[in-house]
Amino acid sequence: MQLKTPAARRYLKRFVPTMIGYVVTVMTTSLLVACFQPTGAALIALSILLAISIIAMLVVIGLYVREETDEYLRQRIVTAMLFGIGVVLAVSAVLGFLQIYHAIGQIDVFWAFPIWCASWGAAQCLMAWRDRVGFDA
Amino acid sequence: MNNCLRVLRAERAWSQQHLADLLEVSRQSVNAIETGRYDPSLPLAFKIADLFGLAIEEIFVNPAKEPGQ
Repeated sequence: MQLKTPAARRYLKRFVPTMIGYVVTVMTTSLLVACFQPTGAALIALSILLAISIIAMLVVIGLYVREETDEYLRQRIVTAMLFGIGVVLAVSAVLGFLQIYHAIGQIDVFWAFPIWCASWGAAQCLMAWRDRVGFDA
Repeated sequence: MNNCLRVLRAERAWSQQHLADLLEVSRQSVNAIETGRYDPSLPLAFKIADLFGLAIEEIFVNPAKEPGQ
């Protein structure tokens, strides 16, 4: 991501505290579950609390896309996100059929978000590299 | 979309970064437009045309009028 634009700087200012909040929530929740082994509504509440942090990250990303005024950078990041969604759907399709025919065991749906982030990041790096190759001072 | 942005920039001895600053976009945007990887929006195309004091069609080649079309 090109951090020189005002929208990107705002994104970073929002993303860092959101990420710190997520890490703190994960650590706290893990500790609470290990110590108190909650069940029922308490366990559901803790699980949703973790999901809220990830949803907050998606909101922060969405705000960046809305606020970015550099149309090429916006198009580049949206393309990378679509690539990430494509990877998640492809992986889901392969794993889904493997599960249907009992070729593999259960895989947590939780992994969809990290896979999307990793694919998005890889696509971003590839496009940034392509731009650097075309650099002409 | 083919264009002569690189030539116009070279005639003025501007770097991609300098042109990007004048257009208030990123250096990557200028590079992508010059290499034809990205077609600018109409407002940005007008901004580029105004900067060089030319009409849009004098900078960007109409794809329908390119040889072989």
